[in-house]
Amino acid sequence: MNPADVAQSVLPLTSSDLSLFTLFWHAHWIVKFVMLGLMACSVWVWAIAIDKTVLYTRSRKSMDRFETAFWSGQSLEELYRSLSSKPNHSMAALFVAAMREWKRSFEGSPQKSFAGLQMRIEKVMQVTIAREVERLERRLLVLATVGSAGPFVGLFGTVWGIMTSFQSIAASKNTSLAVVAPGIAEALFATAIGLVAAIPATIFYNKFAGEVNKQAQRLEGFADEFAAILSRQIDERG
Amino acid sequence: MQIKTASAISTGLHVLVLAWATLSFSGKPFETTPAESLPVDIVSEKEFSQLTKGIKDAPKPVEMPKPIVEKKAEEPPKPVEEIKPKIDEKREVAPNKEVKQEPPPPDPIADKLKPQEKPPEKQETAAKAEPQPLPPKKPPPPKPQPKKPEFNPDKIAALLDKRDPTRKSITGNELNSAPSLGTAAGSAAQLSQSEIDALKARLYALWSPPAGAQDAGNVQITIRIKFKRDGTLAAGPQVLTSGSGPVFNAMRDSAVRAVLVGQPYTMLRPDHYEMWQEIDFVFDSSKMYSDIPVRRQ
Repeated sequence: MNPADVAQSVLPLTSSDLSLFTLFWHAHWIVKFVMLGLMACSVWVWAIAIDKTVLYTRSRKSMDRFETAFWSGQSLEELYRSLSSKPNHSMAALFVAAMREWKRSFEGSPQKSFAGLQMRIEKVMQVTIAREVERLERRLLVLATVGSAGPFVGLFGTVWGIMTSFQSIAASKNTSLAVVAPGIAEALFATAIGLVAAIPATIFYNKFAGEVNKQAQRLEGFADEFAAILSRQIDERG
Repeated sequence: MQIKTASAISTGLHVLVLAWATLSFSGKPFETTPAESLPVDIVSEKEFSQLTKGIKDAPKPVEMPKPIVEKKAEEPPKPVEEIKPKIDEKREVAPNKEVKQEPPPPDPIADKLKPQEKPPEKQETAAKAEPQPLPPKKPPPPKPQPKKPEFNPDKIAALLDKRDPTRKSITGNELNSAPSLGTAAGSAAQLSQSEIDALKARLYALWSPPAGAQDAGNVQITIRIKFKRDGTLAAGPQVLTSGSGPVFNAMRDSAVRAVLVGQPYTMLRPDHYEMWQEIDFVFDSSKMYSDIPVRRQ
């Protein structure tokens, strides 16, 4: 970059105000790119955060409702019939998968094969849990990535901006604060956006990872209990 | 909920926050009161090395500053001048003014009025009119010399010198108690803090005589150093002092090492290369940390 251009582009800033828009507008295009990227990251992080918050809240509530219904003494056949069309949450999906396997073993084939039924049901439930957890965890890695890489990206913009401001010092042969300040302000703006994107990302990632863990454990607990119930049934019938 | 909805909500939130930030975060210029400028004297290197004893904030003298001096250096005693009484010179005494006046012109009417009385009067005035020079005055007695200050017992305390009687008085050529510009540590009219001093400081910093050197007493080792213009050695250091004994050898070798290690001697400016191209440097064990005279060639 031509130092004279730097001085030209920086010097008008000294007289005008240092609002956010001016800071952005006078930045080098690399710094602009970094800022825009970080802004997009921030938007995406918050979108994921809103989405996941809603998803987990709903999932938790429907699990509560399902467990109440499950332990209320209601017939499992009826429960299966009401849910089989559209299992709308992970625990229902788990229940439906296990019940389907059970029913297939009882109703589909004439010779009832109890031998591997227990194992089959457990396998089916494990696969369902894995799928459901995968669904819950989707896009959480984005949060982790933004949380760890955001400050670095912002720092890159800062370093670039400070380089620009030093170039402007060299061009104007003047080390007064008025020459240095705009460059440093825009540079620090990049770091600020990086932090703005990274801090919520890290917090949300930790929160959501804990939530996913909790729900996965709950699913596994339910799967174990349900497997125990089915195993008792198998033993009674077999 | 679809991720699209969440994205829309998130975008809206960001736009709101950005709008708020743009409105609220406007860099206000700091209100700064212009700092009072202080007059600063630029002291050149040469002037700095010739600082005289004084205090920092003394008024700046117009002419050459005088170092503080409390005691005069010894001077050859002047012959005592005899005090001679002054005698006023003789003055010419002018005759009285009245006498100078001419006699009034004769008034015919008055003459007629006082025909008899006038003539004798006229004569008298004529007699008085004769200039009578006064006798010359006697020379006045010799005046007493300027009178001595009166002895006032109440003011003895004020007259006493309350300073430490054993203090080190500063001796110079001229009595001067008024402080002039200078440093507190200055001791001479012209310090020699110069390139040679820098060289000395460097060599003494590098010179590490052996531990037993203190016992050997005052050992002086003179080393002839020949420099090149860039401050490196033109030739190996040449020891001029001869001596023997392990301590002397150790000190000598240490001094030679110091000379070799210290190059290049960038404190010596090439402008004066003629002055320092060959230096006889004296390493003095007794004055390791004090000022050492350096003999130049």
